[in-house]
Amino acid sequence: MKQEIFLGNGAIALGLLEAGCQVLTSYPGTPSSEILPEVIRLVKSANLNTYVEWSTNEKVALDNAFAASVAGKRAVCCMKQVGLNVAADSLMSAAYIGTKGALVIISCDDPGPHSSQTEQDTRFMARLAKVPVLDPSTPEEARRLARVAMDLSEEFRIPVILRPAIRVCHARQSILYGDLEENKTKSAFEKDPMRWAATPRFRLMLHGELNGKLREIAKRFEALSEFNFHTLEPGKRYPLGIVAGGVPFAVVRDILQAQDRKDIPVLKIATPFPFPEGLVAPFMDACDRVLVIEETDTLMEYFLRDKEKVLGRLSGHVPSEGELVPQVVHRTMNRALEESHVEPLQGAEDPEVMDLVKSLDLPVRRPTLCPGCPHRASFFAIRKNKPKAIFTSDIGCYTLGLNLGAVDTCLDMGAAITMASGFYHAFSQDGVDQPIVATIGDSTFFHSGTAGLLNAVYNDARFILVILDNLTTAMTGMQPTPALGIRADGSRGKAVSLERIVAGCGVDFIEVLDPYDLKKMNEVLKKASAYIHEPEGGIAVVIARHPCLIAYRDDAVPDRKTVVITDECAECNFCIERFECPAIYHDQELGRTNINNQLCTGCGVCLSVCPKGAIVEAA
Amino acid sequence: MNTLNMVLCGLGGQGILFMTKVLSQAALRKNYDVLGAETHGMAQRGGSVVSHLRLGDVQGSLVQTGAAQTVLALEENEGYRNLPFLAPGGSLFVNTASPSFPREEVKAFLLRHNIYWHGVAASAIALSLGAPLSSNLALLGYFSAFGEDPFNHDDLRAVVQETSPDRFREKNLNVFDAAFEKAMEEKGN
Repeated sequence: MKQEIFLGNGAIALGLLEAGCQVLTSYPGTPSSEILPEVIRLVKSANLNTYVEWSTNEKVALDNAFAASVAGKRAVCCMKQVGLNVAADSLMSAAYIGTKGALVIISCDDPGPHSSQTEQDTRFMARLAKVPVLDPSTPEEARRLARVAMDLSEEFRIPVILRPAIRVCHARQSILYGDLEENKTKSAFEKDPMRWAATPRFRLMLHGELNGKLREIAKRFEALSEFNFHTLEPGKRYPLGIVAGGVPFAVVRDILQAQDRKDIPVLKIATPFPFPEGLVAPFMDACDRVLVIEETDTLMEYFLRDKEKVLGRLSGHVPSEGELVPQVVHRTMNRALEESHVEPLQGAEDPEVMDLVKSLDLPVRRPTLCPGCPHRASFFAIRKNKPKAIFTSDIGCYTLGLNLGAVDTCLDMGAAITMASGFYHAFSQDGVDQPIVATIGDSTFFHSGTAGLLNAVYNDARFILVILDNLTTAMTGMQPTPALGIRADGSRGKAVSLERIVAGCGVDFIEVLDPYDLKKMNEVLKKASAYIHEPEGGIAVVIARHPCLIAYRDDAVPDRKTVVITDECAECNFCIERFECPAIYHDQELGRTNINNQLCTGCGVCLSVCPKGAIVEAA
Repeated sequence: MNTLNMVLCGLGGQGILFMTKVLSQAALRKNYDVLGAETHGMAQRGGSVVSHLRLGDVQGSLVQTGAAQTVLALEENEGYRNLPFLAPGGSLFVNTASPSFPREEVKAFLLRHNIYWHGVAASAIALSLGAPLSSNLALLGYFSAFGEDPFNHDDLRAVVQETSPDRFREKNLNVFDAAFEKAMEEKGN
């Protein structure tokens, strides 16, 4: 046996391989991104034959994994919670059709939210699709539940969702594990069109079959005592009990254990759907009231139908937004305990220190694009060239173009393009020539840019689309894109040309440039602007290509320049506000604008930014 | 065993995850159960970054406010922002070159709650050794002079030696050692 500190996502990877995962597909997204690389690391070290791919998006990933499970393999598909929206079409249908081998979907939730558009709760997607969902409290439990999910899926021929929240994914925990063994199950496809290609008539039957599976699985969950249990003492009555699952259970458990509060019973449920009613009934009977603490939304609370008895979000006891961090859980429990005339917990929050921190007026740290980031150059040029434009943008590091005033909208993956065409038609309907510049990253374009671009071309929308091509998927941790021809495990794939895809969508204006060359970028944007106004023109696509400085640390800036600020500087703050490079700052002690040489990457883009020409290359 | 709680904070890119990794490894070697929480994603682009580390029989990865024995801050304001985590009698280690650290109102709070504070110019130490990006190792080296089991000096140093990538190992150790020496000098005075 070996002991190692695993990231939660690594513990999940371990659990999947221990359960014989043969195929794993994924699209990166915080907090799920590390599952796939951890699977690859373990596969390589144990010399397993597991097939792993970064798919172009979550729907593609799920369809691929589904097919593998139909062929009898143990397949897994990982994504973040909003990724499951993209894959929802597949999920709903796959639930009815069922599987043959295992199909486990891992959808990582982000209460907070720390790195997502919404705080949506994957458990609701499971309820909507009518598939079982497992809710781990710790990395170790996630590892063990990965096997439960795999076995359950194969036995009942149903997709199963494992829903770790960010505090499981990005926790680190010491884990003891042994050797991994290869699952040697071979592919076999049994033709069964009434299932695999079911028409609506058969779908009704499949729906009935699915409901039957759920009834059986609920019973199975009632007996899953390793993960679902309560701490009632026989025959005892309690004024208040707590129902919890997932990360909040771990928090509740730690608080009660630290204070040795055996007088407060807990019902822990790791399988919120299908809800194990039989396990819940005796707990409800033994408690006068129960407090439900669950993340992120209200699910178990709905299943506990006794409104008089149940405290939670619907009764206003549990916050309806934001993460249930320990101090929030502590406060929530204390309110319920006091109302139930039970001795409160010790260690109430100290309002003094909160007030103190507030009074210090600490600077708000907004994330910024890195020094030398090519996106900064692109955004600066775009804003300067088209100051009156609507800037539609997308999901990635470049959402931070907000700070440069060059991002106005961010809806979902691919919406830079679809919102640009939407704005175009809304304004042109009124006869208004509204400039629109859309920005989208390379990986996001591959994910869901093409359908929107095809649509925009076909419906003759007119706008400039800048594809910010930094040759990687930067925000989520530098995963390769299809354009690189490098696959998830580092092996060679076929490189797919961005230019050819754009041309294939029917775009006739395509210019590729390096955004570090602001002058060239400016010229091209002017040309693009003229083109979109020509009667025979169309959408103009500019591919601003320069490698990410994190992914290509050693060669992203081949010609490093030493930059200084001269006495010509009028302290107008233009560079600080409009260019917003972390290496350019106002030095309080010197009383002037200065360059932080430790942060400066020497990209030299700022040399053409100052209106007074006060940023120059050192002699 | 009592639970040991620690909060590490600073700005994205300062190497908080590496610092957490070194501490976790040191604890693992002493057979502690290790549980921690990290910040990933957008905040890593220069935003506030916090990492939690818990040793003992715990299941939740986050430290509750008022429960941390130690806060390590790679930036002064981030240290202040995370004051609520400190337990009475705890210790605050801050990378700062400011002679006025800690701010007066903070000092009053720390004194009232018996919290020890240590300001160290970790960035300056790292810079003087030609490793401007290694403030994290300087703070760690400084802390190691005060650390108690499982975070004593020799163990932390051994982990730095083993976990540093080859091309940074020597510089990392130089910075770690220099900051440790500085702490020992200060303790001597």
